[in-house]
Amino acid sequence: MATQTHTNATDMDQADPIGGGHHSFRVEGISKSFRHVQALEDVSLAVDHGEVIGLVGENGAGKSTLLKILTGVLQADEGQLFVDGEAVTFKNPREAANYGVSLVHQEQDIITTMRGYENLYLGREIERFGVLEKEQMRKEAQAFVDDLGINIDMQEHVRDYTFNERQMLEIAKSFHVSKKSENPVILLDEPTAGLEESGRQILFDLVNDLRDRATFVFVSHELDEVLQISDRIYVLKDGERVDDTTAAEATTDSLQQAMVGRETADEYYRVPDQQRDTELGETTLTVDKAAHEDVVGPVSFSVREGEIFGIVGVEGSGKQRLGRLLAGDLDITQGSISVDGTTLHRPTVSDMVDAGVGYIPKDRKSEGLLLYQSVLVNTSLAMVRDMHGNVPLLDLDAEEEATLDAIEELSIKTPGPKALVHGLSGGNQQKVVIARWLAQETPVLVMDNVTRGIDVGAKEEVYRLCRELTDQGVSIVFIGDELPEVIGMSNRIAVMANGEFVGEAFDASLGNKPTEQELIQEMI
Amino acid sequence: MSTSTVSEWITEQREQRTLQDWIQDLGPFVMLFGLIITFSLTTDRFLTGGNLIDNVAKNAVTLLLVALAGTFPILQQSIDLSVESIVLLTGVVTVVLISKFGLGLLAIPIAIGVGMLAGLFNGVIFTKLKVPSFLVTLGTLSVMAGIGKIITGGSTITFRDPAVRVISNGEVLGIPNLVLWGLLIYAGTIVLAFRTKFGRYCFALGENERVVELAGAKVDRYKIYPFVLSGLLCGIAGVLLTLRISSASPNIGSGLMLPSIAAIVMGGTALTGGVGGPHRTILGVLVIAVLNNGMNLLGIDSFIQEIILGLVVVGAVALSIDRKKIDVVK
Repeated sequence: MATQTHTNATDMDQADPIGGGHHSFRVEGISKSFRHVQALEDVSLAVDHGEVIGLVGENGAGKSTLLKILTGVLQADEGQLFVDGEAVTFKNPREAANYGVSLVHQEQDIITTMRGYENLYLGREIERFGVLEKEQMRKEAQAFVDDLGINIDMQEHVRDYTFNERQMLEIAKSFHVSKKSENPVILLDEPTAGLEESGRQILFDLVNDLRDRATFVFVSHELDEVLQISDRIYVLKDGERVDDTTAAEATTDSLQQAMVGRETADEYYRVPDQQRDTELGETTLTVDKAAHEDVVGPVSFSVREGEIFGIVGVEGSGKQRLGRLLAGDLDITQGSISVDGTTLHRPTVSDMVDAGVGYIPKDRKSEGLLLYQSVLVNTSLAMVRDMHGNVPLLDLDAEEEATLDAIEELSIKTPGPKALVHGLSGGNQQKVVIARWLAQETPVLVMDNVTRGIDVGAKEEVYRLCRELTDQGVSIVFIGDELPEVIGMSNRIAVMANGEFVGEAFDASLGNKPTEQELIQEMI
Repeated sequence: MSTSTVSEWITEQREQRTLQDWIQDLGPFVMLFGLIITFSLTTDRFLTGGNLIDNVAKNAVTLLLVALAGTFPILQQSIDLSVESIVLLTGVVTVVLISKFGLGLLAIPIAIGVGMLAGLFNGVIFTKLKVPSFLVTLGTLSVMAGIGKIITGGSTITFRDPAVRVISNGEVLGIPNLVLWGLLIYAGTIVLAFRTKFGRYCFALGENERVVELAGAKVDRYKIYPFVLSGLLCGIAGVLLTLRISSASPNIGSGLMLPSIAAIVMGGTALTGGVGGPHRTILGVLVIAVLNNGMNLLGIDSFIQEIILGLVVVGAVALSIDRKKIDVVK
């Protein structure tokens, strides 16, 4: 059971900066830090009965951590949760559910090979003498969802449900686990992510219908949706609550502003440092109708010295595969790639590295780094290729020098060149991957989501580094999932869909940046 | 569950220096000195120059070469189980070339070449056909032993050529040539492991092949080389062994595989690859050589010696394996 602290209501009124002890769910001064990152700092929020609360913030702003704390998956370092005025501590999701707080996951958390009612009762089955009471469960389950106004057949297998129906089942599950509570609080994490337009409407209607029976916290990237469904909106930025506004007062622009902070996007991505068209040098990389079987391509484009060529697309559009193609990791079955005038047909990774293309993979832990080797070994991993002069020995001095230079230049926070990469923070690990290519002055870099999973400070350093590299004439192919980032960083942006480019690349030079909407229209 | 908390926990575990770390670093030393003290006290002959040089050191050389051979495949997270058969094959080839073909010194490079070819075969099958190395070498363990035994015709073959024998049996300043060869090659493998690209890639491949590939290395080639090197060193071991006794029986080299792997692991090269190195393998070799010698001096039954050796192997692996790096053991 949850540990409980009974607090006098009047005391609480005084201690409560947000007001009144009558909120159904209240969070006060929550802080949480992981090893290297302060994920949440002094976050407070309050939710009233029947409210729909929006929670927005950029990736890494702390939304997921907050949801995990609210549902007992993680424990806060500091701060207190209150349910109906009562101070509570959730040690695990089950305790949270006993107080009516539950989460509908981003990735659906149901077992598709089981029937609807079996999922609803999962872990809380009704038994008699150790035998499941299937008929009773089925009937009660059906009555339960009917009562919520959810139209699904609980006898069916979940694999036969539509995506929308599965989500309905998830919401029903949330009500079901928190049925002990008068006022369930249901946290919806990116609920519209996989939904079609019609599905979204069904979801919104359901949330609206159930308003008087539960409190919803709606977490989403889609600001217009948040505005449409929410009564009030909290904005998180870098682990802090930076805004608390009613939906009526807010606009997508004002929310965006709050999410990014005082700093404008232009400053964040150092857009003024971007190379101007007139400053760009010779063409370094030319991709000529390159394709991998009928999976990716044919794709043609070229990148000039000092240019950042952005590539965006939805999941499965082939942008990640295109990165692998450029790395030589995916066989180029048609077409060719030229680097600095040398044309390559069916190059291997080794050929591409020889030609001067360095690839920074999306998943640095499994593909980018030797985690249990030193910073030095990781940094020099590419440059050792060329260390075979008259004596086939490694030049240890050159390695050390290159590593120390990289540590200095990229401000890698490490105890020293011999320290294991495993102990570094994500941002510093990523810098080591970049350092590998800087150590041998690679002229073309292919970056796949180079800032994925690193904190804001490290991101800013990566952006600065990209600007410095392009200033020195390095060409960068910048593949990304985060549209604002790709827009901010790139000189031109190609949109991928079904393995090919959609039309011509967008001009994203200084002052001509396309909007996210313009890109999204091409993406889908 | 949040992966960050889990990985954080692992990091903390790693940073704490555990008892196991101490066992790994100091274990072989402690064991070696423990055995030396024990045998010095329990036998009269152990701590004599004659015993230490003629028995312990000389006998240790073959095991040392074979263990050094096995170290590199293990560093890159594969394994060569065929080492003892390569010793047999190259030993037999040496003797036949000298006694039947009268090739004299020329027999040595040819025999070593045969060892390298055997290693190349292992490496190519492993890399190009993507057969796990332990299966490939388990197969060739049997194949090459068979070939070697056919060449001998099932009986011991001998040769007489004092000029060739001196390579193994002579001595310089009182130190047997055999031991000098062992030390020379030992030093060579350390240079290979820590001062060459080959060595660097061995460690890197043992940790994560994909990363090495994306860094532009010709991975297949560097996965084959350790097996060729293994063949080379086993070839040298086979040559030196047969020159020492000027004969080759159908079962020379047999029983080397298990102690060599034990020596490698005891030295600190984990079967999971990426850590350790040949410089430490010699410690494991000495432990086993001293153990063997001491048990012989004590007159322990050879079958019981087998049992003890097996227990030492499993114990050494259990103590030294890097569990933190392993999620699932199959």
